Amino acid sequence: MTLSRTLCFIATLSLCLSLLNTAQANPFTDAEDAVKYRQQALSMMRDNFGIMSAMARGDRDYDAEQFKQRAKAVYHLSYIPWDAFQGVGERVTENSDALPVIWENWSDFESRISNFQQAVQELVEAADSGNMREIRPKFMTVARNCQQCHQGYRAD
Amino acid sequence: MKVQVWDGFIRGFHWLLLVTFAGLWYTGGNIDFIDQHELLGLFMLALLLTRIMWGFVGSESARFSTFVKGPVSVWRYLRDKSATTPLTHNPIGAWSVIALLTLLLAQALTGLFTDDAIFYQGPLASWVDNDVNRLLTRYHKQIIDGILILVAIHIVAIFVYRIRGTALTWTMVSGKRQTSEPLAQPKLVHGAWGYGLLAVNCLWIYLWLG
Ligand code: HEC
Ligand code: HEM
Repeated sequence: MTLSRTLCFIATLSLCLSLLNTAQANPFTDAEDAVKYRQQALSMMRDNFGIMSAMARGDRDYDAEQFKQRAKAVYHLSYIPWDAFQGVGERVTENSDALPVIWENWSDFESRISNFQQAVQELVEAADSGNMREIRPKFMTVARNCQQCHQGYRAD
Repeated sequence: MKVQVWDGFIRGFHWLLLVTFAGLWYTGGNIDFIDQHELLGLFMLALLLTRIMWGFVGSESARFSTFVKGPVSVWRYLRDKSATTPLTHNPIGAWSVIALLTLLLAQALTGLFTDDAIFYQGPLASWVDNDVNRLLTRYHKQIIDGILILVAIHIVAIFVYRIRGTALTWTMVSGKRQTSEPLAQPKLVHGAWGYGLLAVNCLWIYLWLG
């Protein structure tokens, strides 16, 4: 590869990345779409979390493989809803339960997001152990993250 | 003159209610204790249903028909508090008992339909759709404030009676009321029947919802 072609490649790549970057900050043009998107992601999170909860609380037999899968799903989902709170998603719409303080305390909201993601990652790691005694405290930590964020930022 | 006004069931009910309520207040909204909260809530439901049934079939002093009075009597009582000597609750107190039982029942019933959006759904949550779950969960978080206000009034009233020389708390322990005015002994039903009823209510509620 000649030097000029390499430079050209790098330039194109960085252009693409920067486009991606601006696109990422504002993926929606309609506020209701943004709201629907984040709510769907959050409710999928809940569906997966609910099954794990039934196992952690003994309402359902513990199945290590299934639990791991669900934990991974929550992990992936823990990265999904948040960009829909930006751009047009910053408006409070009729169908949304998001409280306006989110945007007043944006940096707190962001740090809750990263704490939450961290907690889910630790849960995924604990799930590998296949030992419910190790898993349960991690699971409850994640649940506490969900609850505390809702108390501050989601309408009852 | 000493009159036995409260039967064994009413006295036990009252203190069980207090302990159960304290437990529910402590565990409510705490995700670490949600299973205990549910269990206590179901027990509370059994307690309340039994008290309501006892209010129709239990001792004379415990019957709603004995102490719940219409607005005219309430008015007459307010105008002249010494005109009548109620066997148990005075007309105002009677309505606060009804209000408290109603709010507690509403609290326990809405609890059955709760959905915390994280990992818990009440045993009857699937009966209704999501919006109703949302609404009833919100009520569940609001009604408690009304209950706490009534409880506060209840406690203040007991203090006021105490200062004026009537020891109500002890009456709820011994069941006996000291009075200078003549008071007919009410017909009491043995408390064991109440506890039997409570056991039956606990059983079906637990088997159905537990
Ligand atoms: C960083 C804050 C935050 C964290 C952490 C969080 N949530 Fe939420 N959640 C929200 C907000 C804000 C809303 C309201 C979104 C809206 O209605 O626009 C919401 C809404 C929801 C909804 C309702 C979605 C709908 O259909 O309306 C569910 C279910 C939910 N979250 C589940 C969870 C679960 C389960 C967790 C943890 C595994 C969690 N959330 C963690 C902030 C958070
Ligand atoms: C009279 C009986 C009950 C009392 C006094 C009571 C009291 C409470 C209180 C004080 C809270 C905290 C509210 C808040 O966070 O603001 C609560 C929450 C809750 N209760 Fe009860 N409760 C009762 C019965 C029940 C029952 C029977 C159930 C379910 C079977 C139940 C399920 C719940 C749930 C799920 C929450 C958490 C709601 C949430 O945070 O989203 N409760 N309760």
